[in-house]
Amino acid sequence: MITITDFLLVGAGLFCIGIYMLVSKSNLIQILIGIELMLNAAILNLVAFGRYDRFNNGGQMFALFAIVLAAATTAVTLAIILNVYKRYRTIDPGKIDGLKD
Amino acid sequence: MEQFLPPADSLTINITLIAVLLPLAAAVINCILPGKKNKLAGWISTSAILTSAILSALVFSLIWNAHPVHAFIHWFTIGTTELNAGILLNNLSVLMLLLVNLVALPVHLYSIAYMGHDDGFKRYFTYLSFFCFSMLALVVADNLVTLYIFWELVGFSSYLLIGFWFTRDKAVMANKKAFIMNRIGDIGLLMTIIIIYSVFHTFDIDKLFGKTSIVESVLLLNRAGWLSPNENNWIVPGISYHLPIIWQYIAFAGIFLAVAAKSAQFPLHTWLPDAMEGPTSISALIHAATMVAAGVFLLARVYPLFNPVELTILAIVGCFTAFMAATIALAQNDLKRILAYSTISQLGYMVMAMGVGAYSSSLFHLVTHAFFKCLLFLVAGVVIHQVAHIRDDNQLAIDPQNIQFMGGLRKKLPFTFIMAIIGGVALAGLPFTSGFLSKDGILTQTFAWSAGKNPVFELVPVFSVLTTLLTAFYITRMIVKVFFGELRIAPVVSTLKINIDDGGWLYKLPMLLLATGCFFSLFSANPISAGHSWFLSGFLSGSAGEGSYTFLIPVSVTIASLLVIYYAWVIYSNRANPFPQRGILFDIACREWYFDTIYERVIIKPILFIGRACFWTDRRVIDGFIVLFAKAAILFSRIAAFIDRRIIDGFIDLLVKLVRGIGNLVRLFQGGRVQYYLYSMLMAIAAIFILKIFF
Repeated sequence: MITITDFLLVGAGLFCIGIYMLVSKSNLIQILIGIELMLNAAILNLVAFGRYDRFNNGGQMFALFAIVLAAATTAVTLAIILNVYKRYRTIDPGKIDGLKD
Repeated sequence: MEQFLPPADSLTINITLIAVLLPLAAAVINCILPGKKNKLAGWISTSAILTSAILSALVFSLIWNAHPVHAFIHWFTIGTTELNAGILLNNLSVLMLLLVNLVALPVHLYSIAYMGHDDGFKRYFTYLSFFCFSMLALVVADNLVTLYIFWELVGFSSYLLIGFWFTRDKAVMANKKAFIMNRIGDIGLLMTIIIIYSVFHTFDIDKLFGKTSIVESVLLLNRAGWLSPNENNWIVPGISYHLPIIWQYIAFAGIFLAVAAKSAQFPLHTWLPDAMEGPTSISALIHAATMVAAGVFLLARVYPLFNPVELTILAIVGCFTAFMAATIALAQNDLKRILAYSTISQLGYMVMAMGVGAYSSSLFHLVTHAFFKCLLFLVAGVVIHQVAHIRDDNQLAIDPQNIQFMGGLRKKLPFTFIMAIIGGVALAGLPFTSGFLSKDGILTQTFAWSAGKNPVFELVPVFSVLTTLLTAFYITRMIVKVFFGELRIAPVVSTLKINIDDGGWLYKLPMLLLATGCFFSLFSANPISAGHSWFLSGFLSGSAGEGSYTFLIPVSVTIASLLVIYYAWVIYSNRANPFPQRGILFDIACREWYFDTIYERVIIKPILFIGRACFWTDRRVIDGFIVLFAKAAILFSRIAAFIDRRIIDGFIDLLVKLVRGIGNLVRLFQGGRVQYYLYSMLMAIAAIFILKIFF
């Protein structure tokens, strides 16, 4: 039978892949994908822990909200990436270092 | 002026000051005149010396046989020693003052013509005026320190003038030699001044040697033998100061050295013949008439210092020098060298006269000698000048000073010939000349001095008479060879162009002036005897000639001289020279008694050897030690450099690398790159969790 531990392991794996992508990729789109992976790892955890609330299905409900919010942030992020590209003619975060002193 | 002087005397002092300082002013003006050959320089110097001569004649007339005038000002004080600077005018100093000016004036005039074409015309007159100033100041100096200063300055200006043509090697060697020889004398004089001061506690010449002199009062106190070797101490009244008698002899030795160096006496005479490398006019003024007389002048100044033993030494040395130089003059062929040795010989007479107590005769001879020797040098200058003309006109390779090439010049240079005859006759000491008066005074007193002494002392008058005869011989030889017969180069060179004459008034007038000083009339009314002349009455000491000597000696010496002159005239005008040009005697005379050779072997070579040994020691031992030291230092510094570079620098390099590494590491976090920020954030969180788990 599939235990909750298996779900949690998959979620942790997804999260790690997301973090790896976040720090190592040189393309903002790929970083965005990494963020999405981490978000989805969290949502997977919500759904997995949802079995302990069989009456209200709070976990699933919360997951739905999170997915919506994730879609919204993705849209905003893509818009930001577009603007960044317009301004710097690149989407490599390594070359966009205007944040330093 | 600190002391009170009658107005007349202070006027005299002022006149003297002007007379002394005028040549200095001329020297200074000449120094700043533009142009190397500025003709103005000659006339400035000449007018200065002319004024000076007139003023000194005035001073002479005021002071001679009147009371001495002594004025001084306080100069400086060292401890309790007060040093004065001043002027002492007595018979001796005014005589010298006048003499120097009277001789210097014709020489100045002569120099204007003689040096006219020289590139160093202005420099010549600057030096000449400077010399005159030094010499005039020397004779009027009133204390031993100022005397010493001007004594040095006279030697220095002589050095400058001997080396006037400093591009000639021989001139440079000669002035070096003269300077070194004179330094030896200067050290002697300085030594004596120090001894005199430490005994008598004063430098004042008037106090020391004047009429009421300390030295003479000591003489009385010590029973007329005050400085005889029997006395153990040099006792000075009023000063409880005792010195062993040996110091008296050291003081004499110092004075003797000074006199020997300045007046070219044996053993320091060898510089004077070499000094003839200077211009002939300089030889006439400095190395015949004035500066070389400074030694005799010094003897006269400090005369009371000497005891009988020392005077005897002076007499013997003077006599030896006179004889030696006369024999050398016989064999010389260089016109100026003959005259130089003649000068040494005559100076030997003066020193000998001082030694035998003929104080006044010595000074008399100094004065007369100044005139006729200066005249002879000026004649030599003209002759050399004209022979050089012949040489240049015909492109001959002859030495214009060698009398072997001359002859027959009396037809070409009649005036010069007459002047040479006058000077030569005065030098030989024939009657009616000034030389006769002074020389026979010396001779008679030499005989009087030796009478009743040890027979050995008889040699002194004998040799001095012999010297007189030799003098007559060599001067005849010189004049005959130069002026009589035919020009010796004429037969050899067929197309000889001779275009010479006596020169203008600038040549003739000075010689004429000096020639007037060669006759008796200037000094004594009686042409045969100087016993009552104004000159000898000016000096108290030294009674000229007593007894039978006064008549016998002058007559016999004169007759002998005339015979010798006739003999010389016969053999030299016959051309056939009866004397062999070889043999020991000829060699000795020709090589100047081997003095230079002996000095070269005995003094110069050892000194050079010592010098080389010192040089070697310096090179090998001292330098070697220093080089060793340097090498050790280099080694040490190499080690130090290694330590510095590898250890100290290495440590610092390590620190730097560490800091750089940390810096680089830290920089990573501040690179402005979002991903690094995230990465470091993650690391921090991971670290926190790791710490939390394991600790």
